[in-house]
Amino acid sequence: MIQVHKLSKAFTVHKKDPGLLGSVRSLFRREQVVKQAVREVSLSIEEGEIVGLIGANGAGKTTLIKMLAGIIVPSAGEATVLGHVPWKRDDRFRQQIALIMGQKAQLWWDLPAADCFLLLKEIYRLPEAQYRETLDYLTEVLGVREQLNIQIRRLSLGERMKMELLAALLHSPRVVFLDEPTIGLDLTAQRAIREFILQYREQHRPAMLVTSHYMEDIQRLCERILIIREGELIYDGSLRQVMEKFATHKRITVHLRPDKPVPELSAELRALGEVLQRDAELVKVEVPRADVPAASAKLLQELPAADLVIDELDIGTVIERILSQRAEVPASELPASEPSAS
Amino acid sequence: MTRYLRLYASFLRFSFSRSLEFRLDFFFRVGMDALWYAVHLVFFGVLFQHTGALGGWNLDQVLVFAAALFFVDAIYMTVFSNNMWMLPILINRGDLDYYLVRPVSPLFFLSVRDFAANSFLNLVLAVSILAWALLRYPEPLPLLSVAAFGVLLLLGALLTYTMGMLFTIPIFWLHSKSGLREVGWSLGRLGARPHRIYTGWTRTLLLTLLPYAFVASYPVYVLFNGPSWQALAHTAAVVGGAFTLMVLFWRQGLRAYSSASS
Repeated sequence: MIQVHKLSKAFTVHKKDPGLLGSVRSLFRREQVVKQAVREVSLSIEEGEIVGLIGANGAGKTTLIKMLAGIIVPSAGEATVLGHVPWKRDDRFRQQIALIMGQKAQLWWDLPAADCFLLLKEIYRLPEAQYRETLDYLTEVLGVREQLNIQIRRLSLGERMKMELLAALLHSPRVVFLDEPTIGLDLTAQRAIREFILQYREQHRPAMLVTSHYMEDIQRLCERILIIREGELIYDGSLRQVMEKFATHKRITVHLRPDKPVPELSAELRALGEVLQRDAELVKVEVPRADVPAASAKLLQELPAADLVIDELDIGTVIERILSQRAEVPASELPASEPSAS
Repeated sequence: MTRYLRLYASFLRFSFSRSLEFRLDFFFRVGMDALWYAVHLVFFGVLFQHTGALGGWNLDQVLVFAAALFFVDAIYMTVFSNNMWMLPILINRGDLDYYLVRPVSPLFFLSVRDFAANSFLNLVLAVSILAWALLRYPEPLPLLSVAAFGVLLLLGALLTYTMGMLFTIPIFWLHSKSGLREVGWSLGRLGARPHRIYTGWTRTLLLTLLPYAFVASYPVYVLFNGPSWQALAHTAAVVGGAFTLMVLFWRQGLRAYSSASS
């Protein structure tokens, strides 16, 4: 459904020195800087897939989504979505996609959602029966029937986001781009949105590309993730494989006995790995996976242990390390794109 | 075409229901435009205390010209002005995104989605002034001339919008507050006078590259001199040419649209 080959986007931005003098100088001489937002990204997404796009701020996630939605034109490369080149903006293409941006509203604030939906019905040329049926289904599943006739600006953030989702899905799109769909929402609303997305996927099988800074969203929604760093796609594969490949360490926590004095850590213990925490109650170290048995034995031997716990690194920490280039595996050794799971 | 008319009907419905919420704005707009009309009429009245003709037209004819100008302006203000005002803001803030993913011409959507229902009374007022100016005209006006005049005035309104867009679209590259809109507005004032007061290259310019004469002056000229195929073809060519140029320019602008980071 989505095919992307070596897609790139560069923006030219003006660089200006700070202050009034910088502004005056920029009137006569401007330094132009080319910012490579997306670099030769290739990927494919199939029907029914929910793919998570992960990256730090400014990594190029939104730029990639906007190119695939046909909003901005790439500098190089190719892409087809449902067989169409997105930035040619063919009506047949736009009739079948939806874009939801958590930080940008698409509904008119002064109008009740019901009025906005009527306008969308005209825009997407929805037959009356289909419109009624979809609207009934979506309002029921999202639980917003009571709010339909209230002005958008009087709704809570969570209700508004549900209305945004409803507006985007009213025409039953085959490809859905979700850019931070749960941003700013409380935990209950986040969960409701996630459940709705999963339910919608089950029933309609669209291809979905989701960006989110909340790992919970990614873990619950996506079997497959794309990690983008400085515009470059550095990982394309399953969430599980990220853990297998990059969670090269485990954390060992030793809870100390309260009746014993706090011991000094010997040079041998410190050499086991990175000491993350050490106080009167516990000692926490991060050690290579292969060294866990030996390190555990050594810790039990030298410390007055009341308990010992071994933890996997959580997915958020692993991805954060990959993004901040602190991953144990250097970027050059990260896997190339895998064939997509369909 | 039918779909776009249905869409426009939806825009009208929403615009009216929204505008009814802002009563103060409603009366403010009527007051402002009535004042603008009065200033123009007084200006021409004063002018004719010192001269008997302006660009070959007497006071009765100039009153028709002024009324034609009000009519075109009222259409522009009602149909396009709110949208034209918002466009630079939407482009600079990167807020065109949702308009670009809908299966509707974004140019149509962004140009007419907000009908200034608050200005609707001004349109009624302008039509009344135009009817008054035509009815008080001392000589009979052939029906065909009046019909051609009406069509040309509607094209004049389309041209006003087109020229406004041509000076606004550079925002895609300039990222300034309003593009070259102020330049366009200043040049547009040339069209607020009978085009025959200008001579030589200025008049040629107003009938070709900067075709502001076609906004109101040329239609009035056709009304008093009778419609000819050449005059109608000339107007259609100029308005059609400007509109086509604007559409091509708009497409180039969209290619340069960089949106904004979220």
